[in-house]
Amino acid sequence: MVEYERTPSAGARDKAPRICIVGVGGAGSNVIDRITLDRIVDGTLVCMHTDIRVLSHSMAPVKVQLGVELMKGIGAGGDPDLGREAALFSREQIRQAIEGHDIIFISAGLGGGSGSGAAPVIAEIAKNTGALVLVVASMPFAFEGRRRIGQAEEALELLQKRADALVLFENNRMGELVLPKDGIQKAFTLADQLIAQCVRAVATITATPGLVKLGLDDLTAALSTANGRCLFGFGEARGQNRGTEALKKALKSPLIDQGRLLHQTRTLLVHVAGGESLTLVEVEGIMKQLGRNVPDQTHILFGLAVDAKLGDSVAVTLISSLGLAQLNAHAAAAPPAEMMAPRAEAAAPVPAVAPPAPRRESRRAPAAPKQEESFLFAAEEIMPEPAPAQPKLADDFVEAAEPASEAREAFEDSAEVHGDADDSPPWGEEADEQAGVDHPAPVFAPTPETARIPVRTPAAKELADAARENGRGLAAVVARSVTLQTEPPPVQQDDLLVLDPPAPASTITASIVSRSKPVEQPTLGIGEEDRGRFKDTEPSIVDGDDLDVPTWKRLKMKLKA
Amino acid sequence: MAKTTIYAGLEIGTHKICVVVGEAKKDGAIKILGVGQAPSRGVRKGEIVDFETVQTCLNDALVRAEDRSDVMIRNVFLGVTGAHIQSLNNRGCYRLPDDQTEITEDDVEEAKEIARNVSIPQQNVFLHSVTRQYIVDGVEGVRQPIGREGRLLEADYHIIHGIRGRIQNAIRCVREIPLEVEDVVFNPVAAAQVVLTREAKTQGALMIDFGAGTCDYVLYQEGMITASGCVPLGGDHITNDVALALQIPNGRAERLKVEEGSVLYEDVPEGEMLSIEDDTGLVLGEVPRAFLNEVMSLRTREILEQVKARCAAHLAHLGAGVFLTGGVSLMKGVEALAHEVFGMKITRAGSAPVSGITSTFENPQFSAPIGLIRYAQILDAEKPYLSPLKRLGRRMQEILSSIAV
Repeated sequence: MVEYERTPSAGARDKAPRICIVGVGGAGSNVIDRITLDRIVDGTLVCMHTDIRVLSHSMAPVKVQLGVELMKGIGAGGDPDLGREAALFSREQIRQAIEGHDIIFISAGLGGGSGSGAAPVIAEIAKNTGALVLVVASMPFAFEGRRRIGQAEEALELLQKRADALVLFENNRMGELVLPKDGIQKAFTLADQLIAQCVRAVATITATPGLVKLGLDDLTAALSTANGRCLFGFGEARGQNRGTEALKKALKSPLIDQGRLLHQTRTLLVHVAGGESLTLVEVEGIMKQLGRNVPDQTHILFGLAVDAKLGDSVAVTLISSLGLAQLNAHAAAAPPAEMMAPRAEAAAPVPAVAPPAPRRESRRAPAAPKQEESFLFAAEEIMPEPAPAQPKLADDFVEAAEPASEAREAFEDSAEVHGDADDSPPWGEEADEQAGVDHPAPVFAPTPETARIPVRTPAAKELADAARENGRGLAAVVARSVTLQTEPPPVQQDDLLVLDPPAPASTITASIVSRSKPVEQPTLGIGEEDRGRFKDTEPSIVDGDDLDVPTWKRLKMKLKA
Repeated sequence: MAKTTIYAGLEIGTHKICVVVGEAKKDGAIKILGVGQAPSRGVRKGEIVDFETVQTCLNDALVRAEDRSDVMIRNVFLGVTGAHIQSLNNRGCYRLPDDQTEITEDDVEEAKEIARNVSIPQQNVFLHSVTRQYIVDGVEGVRQPIGREGRLLEADYHIIHGIRGRIQNAIRCVREIPLEVEDVVFNPVAAAQVVLTREAKTQGALMIDFGAGTCDYVLYQEGMITASGCVPLGGDHITNDVALALQIPNGRAERLKVEEGSVLYEDVPEGEMLSIEDDTGLVLGEVPRAFLNEVMSLRTREILEQVKARCAAHLAHLGAGVFLTGGVSLMKGVEALAHEVFGMKITRAGSAPVSGITSTFENPQFSAPIGLIRYAQILDAEKPYLSPLKRLGRRMQEILSSIAV
């Protein structure tokens, strides 16, 4: 644990405003960890969570466990109502932790239980202490499902009423921070780093006196787009051409997309800070260069500060916002393929998603004896199991079958808390166990809810590849997948008995693969090789679909998923 | 005596490069003198990806056109397309000074200026800005406002713009031949001049130029251009789908598509097989005809649906229905499929009759290049008349300025 005792000194300097940064929920606590590790902001760091495990891992010096009696140290499980209740229960502790500050940052990942539920309550408490409240929130990934996005939007509305300024990040765009082959860990680290940088920048801009001062009013003006998402870029450089370099770095931020996104913004906040050696020519150069990236009618809010701490380097901060619709339109041009990674990882161990694949495969295989063999083999394997499991099976099912999607969410939660690497194996094992128990029962596998989850499993990909090898079999597959919207599961009762057994094996391998080599997962999306003749052209993307990929292939993937 | 002018239209398509030489008579008639075409390589989705190959093909086409028409081609009207081209409608509003009640030419210019002053992305450039109509004191549909009494003049514009660099690329490619580019025209705008009759434009019509690389469309309502654009999907995508589905090379897939393909698969008898042959006539394998048709149909429907989605706001009042032109409109069954998608009258059309080589204007593949000739003619007609002396003066000026540069 890193001891972090800067607060008293910050408080002692009576001119400097006292800053408090609160991380709420899993995503928030990660940002706090990042800020603690990088020591980039002077201020009190507070971590708030319902889950005691996350709290105990957190590096923040002050920790508040939300709803001790109510939640008993367990996470809110993706339910914002629980998160809200928990925060209300512990409002006294929250008040104590954040009292006596001038500026309070609240960092939260919206969409989950603690983040969306507790953050508005905390914001209100913070407001009541008389501090300036700035919320830095991130919206969930699109693949996390409609419901989570809905929850995030609800929380957003609540936060908007309570916060003085709201800086909103779109997680979907975070995917572009990293190369597709980089690990998921790195992606999250970079995302946290970016948010941490933003917190620092906002703190510096609003708190430090400058030659050309920017205030909170400017910040809110820059962020005032309806349903806007924050565009943020930060760059720091030293040496020759430091001004240009710093601006280049700031523009390189994926949230700005090489400055392309700035073409559509109405208001742009630019803050240039440098050491005592900062010259007017440098500032002029930066602004001139920036002018090329910004349309003439954009309102540029310019701020300038000399900060001795920066030494001989120059820092450029760009903050603006863009409506979600515009952002999506722009993002469509480059889909974050790597974003499939966490989803696929999350989905692989869920047993119900995998079975369709082997079923198809074996139907395609002409060798009948092989099927029998595998059936026998599997039957042997299963035989000892069902006897003890059978009585338990009934309530197991109520738990396992119905909240399948809930389980998935929970798993993603744990994927989000990527710090806990040892969290996932138990999950995977549990899932595998479930797979073993569930498969003898034919009712479970084709549950329509699970079949509809839009997941591109490794199995689906395998299937697509396999199907391509076999032109004639494909004809049947395409014809079926197009003409029959869903397969009639009840008719295939005995069919399932024969064909199901290979399933456990394949789920296990799938989960092993996803655990040992998470780096390879990103290629799971619609790959380059599927585009054929259009490989080296600009993709035509509409609603997230790459239209250069054959229509039949995309339709099939949708039906599979 | 009717004076004639000779124009050349050049379309660098994804499937073919085509040069049409036409003679525009003073009375408005057009005569096609010659057509030169060459298969195109190095173009994807309507945009040039490989300059040198395109230039070789372009030279071929040019030589053929010059041969057939016996005309030496110096200047061309260049048709362009590509996913980057977008359009929008804008209205400029100009209030007359208080002491003036009659609209003068200057006022119109002022209103036009305001209408044209829209913000387009920085790297974009205006391709066309077409006056749709003028509105005087709220009275719509005024064609000629000069001399009218009014207080408020509005100019309604349809503006087509695209990325400067990509348009420049096409121009540069042609200039290196060397050919002078007289004007750059968005393909469907040109094609619509010959595919749609005045009556169709007044009734309301959607013209889709379904080419190999792109599917360009332009929509007219009440005689005014209302929407236009480009969907970067075309016949190539159909071929590609077939190639990937049947695991055959692209060339063979293209042939199969043209010779055997259709987009109607429901009426195909079950089990009807098609044999795939290689160049020597050796049978490589068989595919069910229904499967081939289905793959093609899925893609074609999707492309048409994309077009529909993009002009969905204006589809309500199209009296004349949809006009299909371009190479893919020759595909079997595409009419029926389009009817399913749009739910209105579908007409497969080439260019309107002009004199000259009949097979040319009847072929929908040549709509755009012939349209370029017609467009050039319209453009010239709109230019103010200059006396021969003035024209000479202007010519000299041009030459001098080009030397100065």
